Order: sequence, then C-alpha cells, then structure tokens
Amino acid sequence: MNILDLKYEKYKLGNGLEVILHQNNSVPLVAVNIWYKVGSSAEVKGKTGIAHLFEHMMFQGSEHVPKEMHFRYIQEAGGTLNGSTSTDRTNYYEKLPADSLELALWLESDRMGFFLPALTQEKLDNQKDVVKNERLERYENQPYGLAWELLVTNIYPEGHPYSWPTIGFLNDIAGYTMDDVKSFFKTYYAPNNATLVVAGDFETEKTKLLIEKYFGEISEGKPIPAIKTETPDLPEVKTIVHKDNVQLDRIYLAWPSDKVFSKDDAPLDVLSDILTGSKNSRLYKSMVFEKEIAQDVSAFQYSGKLGGHFTIVATAKPGVSLDDLKSEILNEIENVSSSGISDKELTRSKNGIKSSFVFSLQNLEHLADHMNLYNFYLNEPNSFSFDLNRYNKVSGEDIVNSVNRYLKKPYVDLRIIPARETDEN
Amino acid sequence: MKIDRSRKPEPSGELQFKMPSFESFKLNNGTNVYFIKKDVLPIFRINVIANAGSKFDPEDKKGLANLLAMCIDEGAGEFDALELSEQFDLLGAHFSVFANGDTLQITVQALIENFGKAVELLAKVLKEPKLNEEDFEREKRKVLTRLQQLQDEPDFLANTAFEKFLLGDKNPYSAPSIGITDNIQKINNENIVEFYKKQINPENIFIVIVGSISTGELKDKLNKQFEDWTTAYKPEAFSLSEQEDKKVIYVVDKKDSVQTEIRVGHHTTGRKEDDYFTKLLLNTVLGGQFSSRINLNLREKHGYTYGAGSGFYYLKDTAYFEVSTSVGIENTVNALKEIFYELENIRKGVTEKELAFAKSSIVKKFPLNFETYMQVASNFISKIIFDLPDSYFDTYIQNINAVTIEQVNEAAQKYILPGAATTVLVGDKEKIKEQLTTSDFGEIVFTELKL
Repeated sequence: MNILDLKYEKYKLGNGLEVILHQNNSVPLVAVNIWYKVGSSAEVKGKTGIAHLFEHMMFQGSEHVPKEMHFRYIQEAGGTLNGSTSTDRTNYYEKLPADSLELALWLESDRMGFFLPALTQEKLDNQKDVVKNERLERYENQPYGLAWELLVTNIYPEGHPYSWPTIGFLNDIAGYTMDDVKSFFKTYYAPNNATLVVAGDFETEKTKLLIEKYFGEISEGKPIPAIKTETPDLPEVKTIVHKDNVQLDRIYLAWPSDKVFSKDDAPLDVLSDILTGSKNSRLYKSMVFEKEIAQDVSAFQYSGKLGGHFTIVATAKPGVSLDDLKSEILNEIENVSSSGISDKELTRSKNGIKSSFVFSLQNLEHLADHMNLYNFYLNEPNSFSFDLNRYNKVSGEDIVNSVNRYLKKPYVDLRIIPARETDEN
Repeated sequence: MKIDRSRKPEPSGELQFKMPSFESFKLNNGTNVYFIKKDVLPIFRINVIANAGSKFDPEDKKGLANLLAMCIDEGAGEFDALELSEQFDLLGAHFSVFANGDTLQITVQALIENFGKAVELLAKVLKEPKLNEEDFEREKRKVLTRLQQLQDEPDFLANTAFEKFLLGDKNPYSAPSIGITDNIQKINNENIVEFYKKQINPENIFIVIVGSISTGELKDKLNKQFEDWTTAYKPEAFSLSEQEDKKVIYVVDKKDSVQTEIRVGHHTTGRKEDDYFTKLLLNTVLGGQFSSRINLNLREKHGYTYGAGSGFYYLKDTAYFEVSTSVGIENTVNALKEIFYELENIRKGVTEKELAFAKSSIVKKFPLNFETYMQVASNFISKIIFDLPDSYFDTYIQNINAVTIEQVNEAAQKYILPGAATTVLVGDKEKIKEQLTTSDFGEIVFTELKL
C-alpha cells in the first residue's frame, strides 16, 4: 500500500543532532517532534522519576524564554504542544500552522542548548509539587491505579531498568535537588542524544538553514553508553494481593515476554486481539458475553527496547472468584497452544490492524512521532509498511510458538481486591 | 556563528486555509444527510445522530437511552449479536454506539473500499435491530455492574454530583446518561423497544459523512439501503424553564481519597446566543488553556494540582459554566480560595494583551480543528445539533476578531458569577471538614451520592 510509504530525508548536524524531514502538503500544518534517547530506564533504584520530572522542567522556560512563555508562544501561534516520558525515551512535540515552524525550532533549540541559565529552585519545587499531584490524580486516587507499578516491580528483577514506574516513587521525587536536575540535563540533553523530526508543509532548503541556525551552535555532549540488560524468566509464579478502594476484584496475569520489534512481539500483539479485542474474541466471548463471570477482560503486549511483558486483565462480576477467572484464562491459553488459531480469527485481527494503520495517518503529529519511533528502534523512519507487514506475516503457528515460548512459564498473579468488605445485599 | 536568540521569530504571513465545504440533501425517506468530501486518505467516517439522548429518559427510567445504545447493535437483520460484530470486524471497520444527554450516536469508520458493505450493515442496525430479551438482560446486568464500579471513580462522581446539584432534579440533564441503579432495575425490554420505535426513525435522525466518495454514489447507496425505512414520528420539542443559581457547597464523602475533586460553576446562556464568541474569548483568558489564569495560578504558581481549567459547556437545552480540578486533599480550601479569587478578579476585566493572545490562539488554531475525519465530522455535528447558520465556519474567524475588550469585560460581569456558584467537593469528608471553617463558599451541605 503506497500511502504507507513516507518519503524522508535524514542527516546529521555537526554536533550530532539527527534530523529527519518529511514533506506532506495536504494541510498547511507542520509538526515538530524531538526524541531524546533517555527515559526512566536510565534511572536507578532509589532515584526514580527524574526523567519524567525533567520533562516537566523543560516546560519551565530557558534562557531566552521566560517561565510559562513556552506554552504561551505556541498557543498564541495557534499550535498545540506536549511531551511524554516512557521507559526508553522522552519526546516533545508541537503542531502549528505551517508559517510558525521557525517559532518551534527557536523554542526547542533554546531549551536544548540554554536550559540551565533559567533553572531555579523555585521552579523545581513547584514542579515537584505538580508531579506529586499528577501521581495522586492519575495513580493513587484512581481505582486499580497502582496496578502498573505493582506489575513492573514484580515482573522485572530488582534493579532492572523497567522495574519501577516512569512517574517514579513519591519519596524519590521529593528528594531531587538542583544538582540532580543539572547533571541529568548535562548527561542526556545533548544534540547527539536527540532526533528532530519535522513533518508537514515546509520548504526543505529553507528549513535546513533554520535548523542549522538554531541547533547548530549547541555543543555536542559526551557519548552515552547503551544500557544493557536481560530479563530472566521468573523462577516461580508470584502471587500478590493488594487492597484498594474498589468495588470489584480484578486479576492481572503477566508474563515476561519479548522486546519491541523482536520475533514474538507481533504474534503476541495479534494474540491479544484474538483473546480480547472484540466481541468474538475468545476470552471476551466466553467470560463476558456467554458466562458473564467477568465485567471486562483485556490483554496487551507491552514491549520496549530492554524487555516486555504480556498481560491479561479481568474484572470479576460481583460474587465471582478470581480463581475462576484465572482458570478460564489459563485454559484458553492451553487451548491456543494445543489447537492453534483459525484462519478467520487471523483475518479478523489483520483487517482491523490494516485499517488502524491507515487511520493513524490522519494525524500529522502521530506520523511525526512514529517516524521518530521507527528511527529509534529500527534506524529507519519509513517503516510503516514494514511494521504493517510484520502483522500480516503472522501465522497461526507463530502465535502458538510464542505462546509456548512465553505463556507457559511462571508469571505474576496480581489481585486487587476491595479494602473494605462491602455489604452483599 | 552566534545568533540573536532574544527575538521571538514571527510567523511569515497569513496562511491560506480552505474550509472543507459541505453538501446537504434529503434521502427519499426524509432523512437529512450532510456530506463533507475529504480526499486525503482512502477512508470514510459515517455518523448517525439520533435525537434520542438521555434527556428523553422517562423520569423513573434514567438510563433508558444508554441501554438502547448498548442493545441496538446486539444483532440486526439476519445476524445475531456475535455475527453482527464479526461482520464489522471482517471489514476492519471501527463501529461504536453511545448516548449522551442530547443524542444517541452510531459511528462507522472504515476503508473506502468497504463503504457499500458498511452502509448495508449500518442500515440493518438502524432499521431492524433484534432487541432480544436475552441480550437486553445481559446488557442490563453489565450496566448495573458498571454503575457499581463508577462509585470508585472520583472524576465521574464529581461530574455527576455537579450536574445533579447544579441543574436540579427537575432538569432531565441532571441525571448521568448511564442512568441510576434503582431506575435501571425497573427498565424492561419492552421499554427499550418502545423507546427505539419512538426515537429512532428517518425524520428524527441525521447522517454526517466525511470521506473520499462522489455525491452521486453516496446518494445511490444510502437511498438503496434506507428507502424502505419510512416510519416517522417527531417527538415533541423540548423546553426547560429558567433555573436559579444559589451559592452552596456540597461535600460528597469519598472515604480514603488522597485528593479532592473540585467543581465550581453556575448556569449560563445557550449556545445560539450572539455572545458565544465573547464568552469563548473570556474563558480562554480565564481557564480554557494551559496558559490561562486558573491553571497558571493553581498549578504553575501554587503547585496544588496537575491541572485546572474552566469552560462554558453547552447542551442543546441547557448550558453551564464550570471550573474543574483535583488537588491534594490538604490544599482543598487553599485551592478553592484561589478559584474564587480568579472568578472575582476576572470580573474586574482582562488586559488588551490577554485578549490579543486569546484571539490569536483561537484564530490561528482554527485549521487544526479540521485535520482528522473525526474532527471534521464532530464540528459539523455540533453545527447541526445547535442549529448554527450554514456560514458558521466561514464567518468564524471574522466573528472572533470582531469582539472588543469592552464586550469581554461586560461579559465577565454578566457571565462569571462567583456569588451564585455551586461548588462540589468529592473527597474524604473528615479531612475536608477540618479545613472548611468558613461559609465563604456558601452554605455547606455534607452529602453522599447514590448512583
């Protein structure tokens, strides 16, 4: 499908900043998207959450941009902006009317090259409070909100770069000093550790000059050694029971699995759809539709550069035991392993995946971010077709092999149950 | 070479943006269709909007429209529930149904090569849903369990409590669209069938389509599928009496919460009023964006919250102004003080600079609102629901630019009313109680919310 073939030009500035340009003149917009190759996996135990806290600090202004004005300038120009932190990377992005491209380049380069002079204790204290509230709002005050960190701290061995939540632990966040922030910036926020994607409606030669103008003078940083780690199998099934302010019991079964874009990654993605992605998917149909033992069930393959895990989550209907849900799930996995996958199931999933790929091209920001993603993991920004093909090639046998390789081994069995007994009438 | 970084780069000039144009026509059975041609990608999006939202739920059957939305795709024509779902999945189509206060909406998005088949399936759902007893009972059990779960979700509780207490029990929008437990228990499948017959018919729906297809082909395919669907029933027009605002603070207990969800607001004038644009600009200064006053104060200055904002929210027959945030429980009253400070303060007026910023932001962002097929569709759906003029999008920028600072400042006095604001706090009652020592925010009512 040639609409998935996205032409681009890639080059490097003298200071090591990687640049990817993709022209798309269908609407008069431009997307600017920077990936810094640092995420929470660069942290260590006891010092978690700094990659994410740092992302917040990047919106606090830089030498030539007063606090609050980064947001304000972009919004004044009619643009949208944000940033996000994952285990592997931190991204910053803007989408603007095409004639404001220079504004975005000015702002991004100022915080890449001139962040430190504008850093103050007051800003840091303020954002520590904001992040604390983010953690309260998005995790601690949400039902089942601590599930993710309970999973990752148990799936990955102690000290593994994925064994803490990206937002970090409250105590760690509270402890960060100006020196921590400065040294994080100096180590990771150098041009040679970043890739800039510009996508949309722009003139190539003019844009190259602007990129050189704004980013060219920023000094190169020291090379950053790659993080190397392995995710071992769990020695045995780990059962964790956690009490929360919830009405219904929920079970999470999570197996260590394959890394992103590795052999079993796509088959496990397709498997998640076959198990829970639609009304006719196996677990949804049996647990939610027919037997009504679960209120909901979902499965996903999470994968990053250093590891991955496959998780199945189900919420019990009132009065149903989690053991019943668990045996239903494990039986179905056994069933996949022994009887395989039907052609119809594969077709259904693949058709949905194909549509999703085309739908995703509607949004320029998504497109720019994906060029960065493909470049980061595959060293090839134009991998949309390759990626779709990865799913198209999955056979029933591939899925069975992935199941046998990962889902028959020990796993984490996490149960979140009501903190207080509710009346049963 | 060193460059001068102190100067902010300015945009190079006015951009040309062509609003997507739309065509409207009636199908042979009387259904209105709005078509926006968009050729960027080989996809289409079709939305059916029925005048069948939860505001039509009978007084003792709150949750009826939502249950119809849950049941309408549980089989249609020759297909049972699982078969119908399978048909959409095999097309790789995204299919969804939901009900909100005003409407029940059915959406299909798929690759254009599947347009014909998708429309055929959609027509079956609209014309001949099975609405079986067995499927109904299952969906009813599902929604009852869902309501039980929603007791855990602080933002849902706050939104629900705010609409309930602000709008009052006589306003049909005051109950959540999902319904109320003891009402849902009383709903039976006959109620669903009856509601379907009354509300879902050719003249009580409209269709919005965005995609790369020709008008001729579109008309042919739609007429072919819908020609034999002719039942028509126009529900009576809807009207609401004037409502009064009172300064009251409701504390909804949610034990062991680590945050307090805060909502503050009051009624406002409707979407069709001429000062819509003035209010939009006013709110952009006050709380519509990250860099608006409320967020800069509560988040960037005080660090009380991850985010705070405000908006004028419009339903077809009701509208209100609302400030919304969630804060660490120890800062509940500190945050309330700052919110009321900002509401009082904006009544003293905005600056020329703030207004210029708000205008620039809205005007220049306008093209971004038409990027995806979903955005295009939802913009046109709002235009139709609120019965806005056909020139609405063409004159939008002009209307924003025409607003004066005098108008904004007048609107601030008229439309921001801290003296008559309803406040809802959802959090740990005991911890809130010890902070709430004044009646500055109105009469204090401790209460619980029964879903």
